[in-house]
Amino acid sequence: MRDKILNSIRQTVMAILTIIVALIIGAVLVSLSGNSPAEAYLTLFHGAFGSAQRMSEVFVKMIPLCVMAFGVSVAFKANLWNIGGSGQFIMGAICSVLVGLYMGLPSAVAIPVSIIAAMIGGGLWAGFAGWLKTRFNANEVITTLMLNYIATYFLAYLIYGPMMDPGGSLPQTKQIAESLRLPLFASGMRVHMGILLIIVLLVFMLFFWKSIFGFKVDLVGKGEKIATCSGISVKKTIVCTMLISGAITGLAGWNEVYGVQYRLLEGISSSYGNISVVVALLGGLNPIGITIASFFFSALLVGGATMQRMTEVPYSIVDIIEGLIIVFVIARTAFDLKIFRKHNGKEKRRC
Amino acid sequence: MSSLAVEMRNITKLFRGVKGNSGVDFKLKKGSIHGLLGENGAGKTTLMNILYGFYQPEEGEIYIRGNREVISSPTKAISLGIGMVHQHFMLARPFSVVENVMLGKKGRHRFLLDTAKTAKELVNLSRKYKMEIDPYSKIWQLSVGEQQRVEILTALYMGADILILDEPTAVLTPQEVDMLFETLRKMRDDGKSIILITHKLEEIISVVDEVTVLRDGKLVGTKVLTPDTTKEELTRMMVGRDVLFDFPQNDIKPGAVEVSIQNLSTKNDKGLDALSNLSLDIHKNEILGLAGVDGNGQKELCEVLTGMRKADGAIMMDGENIINRNPAFYINKGIAHITEDRHETGLALDLSLKKNLVIKRFIKEPFSKHGFLNEKAITDYWNKKRDEYHIKSDSADEPARALSGGNQQKIVLARELDNNPSLVIANQPTRGLDIGASEYVRTKILEARNEGSAVLLISADLEEILQLSDRIAVIYNGRITGILPKNAGIHEIGSLMLGKKQEAAVNA
Repeated sequence: MRDKILNSIRQTVMAILTIIVALIIGAVLVSLSGNSPAEAYLTLFHGAFGSAQRMSEVFVKMIPLCVMAFGVSVAFKANLWNIGGSGQFIMGAICSVLVGLYMGLPSAVAIPVSIIAAMIGGGLWAGFAGWLKTRFNANEVITTLMLNYIATYFLAYLIYGPMMDPGGSLPQTKQIAESLRLPLFASGMRVHMGILLIIVLLVFMLFFWKSIFGFKVDLVGKGEKIATCSGISVKKTIVCTMLISGAITGLAGWNEVYGVQYRLLEGISSSYGNISVVVALLGGLNPIGITIASFFFSALLVGGATMQRMTEVPYSIVDIIEGLIIVFVIARTAFDLKIFRKHNGKEKRRC
Repeated sequence: MSSLAVEMRNITKLFRGVKGNSGVDFKLKKGSIHGLLGENGAGKTTLMNILYGFYQPEEGEIYIRGNREVISSPTKAISLGIGMVHQHFMLARPFSVVENVMLGKKGRHRFLLDTAKTAKELVNLSRKYKMEIDPYSKIWQLSVGEQQRVEILTALYMGADILILDEPTAVLTPQEVDMLFETLRKMRDDGKSIILITHKLEEIISVVDEVTVLRDGKLVGTKVLTPDTTKEELTRMMVGRDVLFDFPQNDIKPGAVEVSIQNLSTKNDKGLDALSNLSLDIHKNEILGLAGVDGNGQKELCEVLTGMRKADGAIMMDGENIINRNPAFYINKGIAHITEDRHETGLALDLSLKKNLVIKRFIKEPFSKHGFLNEKAITDYWNKKRDEYHIKSDSADEPARALSGGNQQKIVLARELDNNPSLVIANQPTRGLDIGASEYVRTKILEARNEGSAVLLISADLEEILQLSDRIAVIYNGRITGILPKNAGIHEIGSLMLGKKQEAAVNA
């Protein structure tokens, strides 16, 4: 127990340090661009938390980020670098829109069916990459990345073609019926009941890592050879892990359709795919860590947009901070390993 | 002119505040072979790495041929005539021998390689020290013993007259060891000074003139070897206590055949024949020792027996052919596997200790219930095994990586030997362990045999095979070249290990 607690404290401290260092370097860049860092960050903070409206925006962005990060973290834990979050998000969104627009089900049935459809869409999209890996030894980084492009252009085909809203000229589908839309928390704000998704998934993730299957995923990630020797079918586990990872990520697509956009449109996955990878890593693949990290990143996104509007500081500073955090998170992993080795030398005990 | 080739005075080396060496003195006489003895972690390699310039000591002075030197890098060491042959060879496998030798040396021409001339010099050098080798063969075509010769030749070619060999006998057959020793003696007579680092003193006792023993980073003593120096005396210096070299014999007779391997054939990862028509019977209450040089099919045999590799032939157990099933089947059948490579196939190094203990059984109760792991049952089980196997650890949740090799192997043993396995495959179970830990592992393997398990003990260490086995099979090139009784002579086994056919089949 003690080791576990110490470890999570260390992880938290490291994550916070990472963010602080990124913000400090960001500050240096802001002042180099001739602006005041204090003002920029104050505006950023104010932009994210300054009013109920803005807080609501933070949560609107946090839902997909957090859900996707949960999704990719499942794969990451098995050492499968699923960076195809946005493709799985899009496939989830497409499948759930099909249910909402064309099946004509009553809303009590349509919503659960659309959730399942989104999970199947995202799950199969990622599961396919998992299958390619086990069958042809195709690197999942490449396949999931390429599948992102296929999903993006497939979406474009649908909204410029067969699914284009007949009543308009914009590349987007019709809106789903109002009865299907997730209720808002308060009028005038965009934050919606999808926030419950975070809570449900957080509980699910906490239990998942205590389950037999969760342990298999972890073991495969710690070493495929030892997992095989322990009688685990690594191939089956890889495919199942990708299916689950994609299914969760697909839910984020469902959320975006039923809670925010109410239709398919280009760029619906925004940049959530890339950021969710950072969120998952910054959160140390830990469900609670991911929840906190996703909150931080959505605040950064929302605040950054405001900062750009209110000051001379360009939005790219947010991209830079994001990039720095990626670099630090990766460097930290390497750094950790190094510390560990030395620590290891010291800790060796005689028999 | 000093009569010492190397003198190291009061060497102290700290690793993050922990002493790797503390106040060690070391003297190497010119024209002598010096054994540097100690258990794993005693600081032998650290001391030699200081001499070779890999590490800088915190304290102490080094004198080479009487002159004080600061050896700041291996390049400096080489320029002082110090050469080192590492335990893991540092050779580029696709390259030829002569190309490897040239790798470490500046060419005479600025841009062109001088292959032909170097090859000629190399041949002369190898004749001189009786290390015949074809300079144009590629490294991957050479046996391990030949690769070692390349390493030694490289060092000599660079002008070494002080040669450090790190565990040189670990990978060799007895015949190859004899050849190596002859070469070393020739080099000594030629005025070169040689240091042999080892923890297996039996093997070097015949060749060294003097030994220095380290324990826990400190100097225990230096001793000039006389004909009456005994193994036990040196062991006591190394370990600090007496060690059980001869395990108590017991009267348990081998029982019925537990596993019968019949005409097993399979290919290795390169698609070459790894096992050809290999047959073996392993009895209950029996340790069958499988002797052989590494890479003669032992690994593939283990893999076939645990479902990690497909093969032709039959494995009969409980009246049923159980070949080509999945790994889980063999685990459920009670086949325990102490793998050759603890770090890859024995343990998940980043996983907690207690979970490593149940990785083969977490699906079953009480370790999991209703699809979820039962942390409490796992912790209780860990506590029980930790006490039973005297595993030294701070907490059940620390990763396996944090433990020493001996303690890691104890976890593997605790996992594999639990529940009275029907067959125990122990592949190099004491490789890389110090004497104390090896003794423990061997005791546990004997215990498993006494409790009814059939044991297949695979080892390149003949001493170990002879100590434990009830019968000894020898494997060469994927075939069994002979089966010998337990009291077989070491040279008889050795010649079978080199592929000489057995004259008269002895079946004990």
